[in-house]
Amino acid sequence: MIDLSAFQDALGIMFSSVGSWGWIVPGLIVGLVFSAIPGISITMAMAIVLPMSLYMDFFSAIVFLTSVYTGAGFGGSVPAILMNIPGSPSSFATTFDGYAMSKKGEHNEALGYALFASTICGIGGYLLLLLVVEPLADIVLRIGPVEMFAVAIWGMLLLGSLGSTYISRGLLAAAFGILLGTVGMNTAGFTRGTMGIPVLLDGIAPIPAMIGLLAAGQLLSLAGRDYIIEAEGAREVSVRRILKGCWGTLKFPGVLLRGSIIGIVIGAVPGVGSSIGNLIAYAETKRTAKDSATFGKGNPKGVVAAESAVASAEGGSMATMLALGIPGGGATAILIAAFMMHNIVPGPSFIETQKPMVYAIILNNIVQAIVLLAVGIGFIYVASNIVRVRTRYVLPAILVIATLGTYAVTGETAGPITLFVFALLGYALARYQYPVAAVVVGILLGRMLETEFLRSYQLSGGNPLYILERPGALAIFAVMFASLAMTAWGKRKQNKAEAEEEAAMLRLQQEDAARGAHTTASKG
Amino acid sequence: MTDFTRRDAFKITAGGLAVAGGLVAMPSIVRAANYPSRPINVIVPFATGGYNDRLSRAFMPYLEKEIGQPMVIVNKPGAGTQLGNSYALNQPADGYSILCTSAAPYIPLTVLLQNAPYKVEDFAMLNLPSRDYTLAATSAGSEIKTFAEVIEKLKADPGSLSIGVQPASADYANMILAFQAAEIDPTKLRIVTYDGGGPARNATAGAQVDVGFVGGEGFLPLKSKIRPLAIFAGEKVDWFPEAPLVSESGLKTDFVEGSQRGWAVTTKLRNEQPEIYKFLVGAVERASKNPKAIETLKLQELATTWYGPEASDKAYLDNAAKMAKYVDLLK
Repeated sequence: MIDLSAFQDALGIMFSSVGSWGWIVPGLIVGLVFSAIPGISITMAMAIVLPMSLYMDFFSAIVFLTSVYTGAGFGGSVPAILMNIPGSPSSFATTFDGYAMSKKGEHNEALGYALFASTICGIGGYLLLLLVVEPLADIVLRIGPVEMFAVAIWGMLLLGSLGSTYISRGLLAAAFGILLGTVGMNTAGFTRGTMGIPVLLDGIAPIPAMIGLLAAGQLLSLAGRDYIIEAEGAREVSVRRILKGCWGTLKFPGVLLRGSIIGIVIGAVPGVGSSIGNLIAYAETKRTAKDSATFGKGNPKGVVAAESAVASAEGGSMATMLALGIPGGGATAILIAAFMMHNIVPGPSFIETQKPMVYAIILNNIVQAIVLLAVGIGFIYVASNIVRVRTRYVLPAILVIATLGTYAVTGETAGPITLFVFALLGYALARYQYPVAAVVVGILLGRMLETEFLRSYQLSGGNPLYILERPGALAIFAVMFASLAMTAWGKRKQNKAEAEEEAAMLRLQQEDAARGAHTTASKG
Repeated sequence: MTDFTRRDAFKITAGGLAVAGGLVAMPSIVRAANYPSRPINVIVPFATGGYNDRLSRAFMPYLEKEIGQPMVIVNKPGAGTQLGNSYALNQPADGYSILCTSAAPYIPLTVLLQNAPYKVEDFAMLNLPSRDYTLAATSAGSEIKTFAEVIEKLKADPGSLSIGVQPASADYANMILAFQAAEIDPTKLRIVTYDGGGPARNATAGAQVDVGFVGGEGFLPLKSKIRPLAIFAGEKVDWFPEAPLVSESGLKTDFVEGSQRGWAVTTKLRNEQPEIYKFLVGAVERASKNPKAIETLKLQELATTWYGPEASDKAYLDNAAKMAKYVDLLK
């Protein structure tokens, strides 16, 4: 639990280093801009600014980098909502309902929902972190391959909610995606499907692949239109409507809470990161919602669920980093490097000896989330103006920026080549009505599914009863099946009720008809 | 300022071409005399934030002072350093690119297991200050207290303990060598593979696996969460003195040294530009012996020990030879 005297010292650090606060706004802007560029992930944005932070003092450097982290967590959702192209994998689930809202002319509200969900859950994640930073870290270390495999399966359930005309093509597309996700050297040291290309030893780079797949179909469909939003009257950019969206977020406390819990836990697990949390949060919210049929058609709850998981994952990931010195994902790996470059090694001894500093970092992150609200509104106000630009100018610009984005960070042509190949693939998939989104889910989860399944197999020596020794995994599977069963039960009841209603309607109609016939007969 | 005619432009262009032509035609000896006249690239075949990246950034200011030119860090991660190594070999042998890398085990591994299009001998070491060794460890709360106990238990039943390790690594080779020495059939073990030292360490500290075989240095921040059982080194390791040597368990086993990290150039540079090579060796030596550099890097848990090019090259080639000898264990 929280150590009060350390907390007071932390406040002291906060106020005695007011100069460091000046780095919050630049950090947020850097994070927002970089991650809004399709092709640059949160990790890359932080890797770009890491050398810069070397020249700052410790607290300023950490404030700056965590501000980039906070800003980047939200930035990716802007292109996701406005153009159906996620800025980074962690905003993939945001496209489902965010873009659908944009098409209806509700882009202002959608961005507002995303921003406020991001802010509230970012704060929530860190508040929780303040209380449980140490116990959480210990739990995280106990999460093994079987538990992780259960989480990956849970992520795959999202496929059920993507919806496509043909179930068979959806499953085929997902299987294809998983296959693509396993290209490269696997955890046991076997190399598959690299075609002798050294770059592919690390697997297919998920970001250019995802953008290629999604952008190709999207840009082609946009090319047929003059503007992103067809109705002229809807192409307005209004702070009032953005704020309305912000305010609307508060109407879904359940969605926010569920998204946050999923985000924190998954964000805290080393090596997973926020790109899976948002998929699970979206799928869970959709499946348990009463109005699940409207998801994917512009239901604000979809946006809120996805964004809440992304924002709270930051807190979870920071917990693992601070308490254990283990990176939860790429972004915290960069943060650890920044700590080390300032002669501080995060981990159990750091948290024991420097508790006030740990608290100060957490508190500063809460401040950042609040500042993000103001900076974010400004940012989305500027960014939304894209809906007023003709697509003939927007499309080439996006293509160029996305290509540069995949090239700029590593300086390797592998990024743009992957983008191009997957753009062709995406076009072919869309042309033959295979759901592109299912392929993306497969690519994002394929590696994890395989790795964790293989490790579970190795660990158990092939004995399936091993799962009985893992209460955590059993609990995850139990919750998953209970949730599925409840949905099925609810659906059945709903169907029954609908069927009854229909039958009653039919009876009424028949009676009406009979009466009509009767009256006409009596008349005649 | 605006009376800049086309003729002027032509003159400048022609002049530029002449200078460029002169540079190309200039014998290499003259180039060496002017060396270094522009910034030097440090190729790090890993992403930002890894050990080599941190080492290069922390050491850079001291090296810059000795070289007298600014340095630029170029991160070229991917394919177990193969991409960065190939990139380094493709640069002209003019001394304007040097490597900061985990020479061993990565260069031998890419050659032996990935058919990388270069040879181990294509790289010449300047200095490899950081030496890591395989550490067999268990979680702090484990019932296992010594490495002898592990051997005993596995001898009785090879499936009784699970083992976490990164495949195709020096750690893997050391694990197999140790169990072969103890006459335990490795095919019957429950070996769990991890694609990196980090995940293998987390699994060990979190008791996901009973015993982990992984580079010891990375365990330092997690020291309180693990119990060291055996370190695969010839003598006590100064950064982990409480780790018992593997020989103390009574087991006689050969082992491969773990990572050897530091500064390298291409052999082509050493052979074709001996003056530049000598200059670089001297700069690295003086920077490594700079008390300020030693102090700063020590705080960041980075090594500065000066072994020199001969000793570093020997350690690197010995490691490569041993890897080649035991390559069948790695596959």
